[in-house]
Amino acid sequence: MSVAEILWVEKYRPRSLDEIVNQTDVVTRLKQFVKERNIPHLLFAGPPGTGKTTAAHALAHDLYGENYRQYMLELNASDERGINVIREKVKEFARSRAPEGVPFKIVLLDEADNMTGDAQQALRRLMELYSGSTRFILVANYPSKIIDPIQSRCAFLRFVPLKKDDIVERLRFISEGEGVKYEYEALDAIYEISEGDMRKAINILQAAASLGKVTVDSVFRVVGMARPREVRDMIKLALSGKFMEARELARRLMIDYGLSGEDIVRQIHREVFSQELNIPEEYRVLIADYVGEVHYRLVEGSDDDIQLSALIAWLSLLGKRVS
Amino acid sequence: MSERRLPWIIKYRPRRVEEIIGQEQAKKTLREWLEEWLKGRIPAKRVALLHGPPGVGKTSLVEALARELNMEVLELNASDYRRKSDIERTVAVAAKKRPLFRRGLIILMDEVDGLDPKADEGGIEALVNIVKETLNPIVMTANDPWKEQLRDLREYSLMVEFRELTNTQIITLLQRICESERLKCDKEALSYIADKSMGDARAAVNDLQTIAEGYREVTLDLARALLKGREKTLNIWRTLSGVLYAKQAWMAKKAVTQSDEDYETLIAWLNDNIPRKYSDPYDLYRAYESLARATVFLNRSKSGEWALLSYVFDLIGPGVAFARVSGEISGAKYGFPERIRLMSQLKAKRELREKLAEHLARRLLTSKRTVKNEIIPVLTVIFRNEADPAMAARLALGYKLDKEMIEYLAGPKTNDIVKAIEKIRRAKPEEVEDKKPKEDKTTKKKGGRGLDYYY
Repeated sequence: MSVAEILWVEKYRPRSLDEIVNQTDVVTRLKQFVKERNIPHLLFAGPPGTGKTTAAHALAHDLYGENYRQYMLELNASDERGINVIREKVKEFARSRAPEGVPFKIVLLDEADNMTGDAQQALRRLMELYSGSTRFILVANYPSKIIDPIQSRCAFLRFVPLKKDDIVERLRFISEGEGVKYEYEALDAIYEISEGDMRKAINILQAAASLGKVTVDSVFRVVGMARPREVRDMIKLALSGKFMEARELARRLMIDYGLSGEDIVRQIHREVFSQELNIPEEYRVLIADYVGEVHYRLVEGSDDDIQLSALIAWLSLLGKRVS
Repeated sequence: MSERRLPWIIKYRPRRVEEIIGQEQAKKTLREWLEEWLKGRIPAKRVALLHGPPGVGKTSLVEALARELNMEVLELNASDYRRKSDIERTVAVAAKKRPLFRRGLIILMDEVDGLDPKADEGGIEALVNIVKETLNPIVMTANDPWKEQLRDLREYSLMVEFRELTNTQIITLLQRICESERLKCDKEALSYIADKSMGDARAAVNDLQTIAEGYREVTLDLARALLKGREKTLNIWRTLSGVLYAKQAWMAKKAVTQSDEDYETLIAWLNDNIPRKYSDPYDLYRAYESLARATVFLNRSKSGEWALLSYVFDLIGPGVAFARVSGEISGAKYGFPERIRLMSQLKAKRELREKLAEHLARRLLTSKRTVKNEIIPVLTVIFRNEADPAMAARLALGYKLDKEMIEYLAGPKTNDIVKAIEKIRRAKPEEVEDKKPKEDKTTKKKGGRGLDYYY
């Protein structure tokens, strides 16, 4: 066993197209491109964890070999989504000539559906202007959020949701490779929780393995641990009218877990419909409605602590009405 | 409890001469002058005028010397006894008094530069007449002894100069108080307080107490946030009351628009004081909703629409004031906002999380957001679990996580993991130093795979 370890999502990521075992249609087409040593602009679409980004890297790897990353500009639009990134970074890279011995460079725009509208418009121009020396690969969960003129310039490759067998088989393969003991039911449970997302499934497997044998129980423990239960406690405190304590807990969540207001709001939203929470059904909707409003304000850039305080005050008020 | 309520400038007032910081020349001059009196000789100058900036120990020195020399002090605050008749009734009587039991008597008159030559007509002349003939030493203090109205008095006075304290001297004093109060005080914070006090020990001690009583610790962030001006906390309390007790909407609006504080500070104070004052859940919710809407408008106005600021004031003033429909308001004291401390802690945590996300995102071919939402929670499970810390240790090595990052992920388990890393290092130093992790035989089908092409 090696001394230094990396996350299994990285360790077991297919490096070349040959290693990708599912998404057969997509892989066949991509291999054809490699054979021709030419690619059009590409749009990879499909649910999270189905291998889109991996396929893009594998494609580049097969085209350029081990050092493929030097011919590629990788941007993640969920981190850098504005028009300036397109105007500066992408344009800079796209306009430069392709290096010796390589027909074109690649711009990989991951999570491209997070790009703003004007950024997409700017991108569309670049795709036309520099198509001679630069090819674009856009990766998106929701292709409908990509503007039509871009879609029409790309070859569209749809990644299908992974089937249960694909995921369980992969988990089994990794477990055996790592010498991890597991129950078959546990792998089924991981598939159910992952909702077909391979990355999520492998991460859960590794976390569960760190606790010992992978069992249904340890899988659920991992999922519970990764979702701080303080959120539920906080909701309960608020509903029982303990505003100050609930807010103190919310603040601790932000500090101890480094969560943002948005993170906490998302988790509250998840808890609202949980049966653990004993409130009249119609209140769940009232809460969700207000949670949504607060979420929107936070997205707009409003203050975390104050928006959460308002939400907690709302919960306290509802709690009083229930009792 | 009562001990804690005592203002520190009183609690820590120097009792002995040596406890007074610096001012060696003044100490010597005044002591010798008082000893003359005690020996029964009347010095040429019957009054000593101690002058210097506020808070450097003028009054304290008189009190401490009196204690050491076993003299009585009759303290007359000059601003209370202003007119000729007042001065004759009090100071003149004392000046002629024979000391009891041969103990010396010092007549102490504070703030003589506060005498108003017009309003206190005849006051100065009366004093001059007294000092010419006094049988007891008179000590006066003044910040500015060069005022015109003190000219005659100066002629009869032994001038004793007090110097502004240096920052180092003030920091030493503050450190002593911190130790005695068992307070955690950052050196930079004390230095900041000293700097702000401009040589005034009393101001510095007051500032220290302000921060310490609000937060039980003294950090640079807190000091910066609270000490924009010493008068400010009073003003903010006035503003808060103006809002929370407003009878009509315009009053609440006036309270917030005319406050010296900016709207962000006001929001922070309201944020932590609304729940202290509003106990009814409906009032509380309405007040917070109003405050929350205010931050929405504030944010909108920051995008350039500054006209929208007006709505911010509507919502934090009248909005909060008339959220209270129950009529109930608690008599609880106002508290300092937690926000400042919260924000600095939050900032540090979030920066670390961001750093970690950035560190891992490229390696894992994904966005920082995904790392934060999916990877960090998984790592947290691995780093904090009760089982063997070996996997966490190996991951820390594999991703070259630094101590801070490990601490962020592992929390209370940090030490176990650091130890596990050390153990691995000792066992196989050559492998740890090697940049490439071991070949992974399970996935390897063709071609060499190392981390080199990842970076």
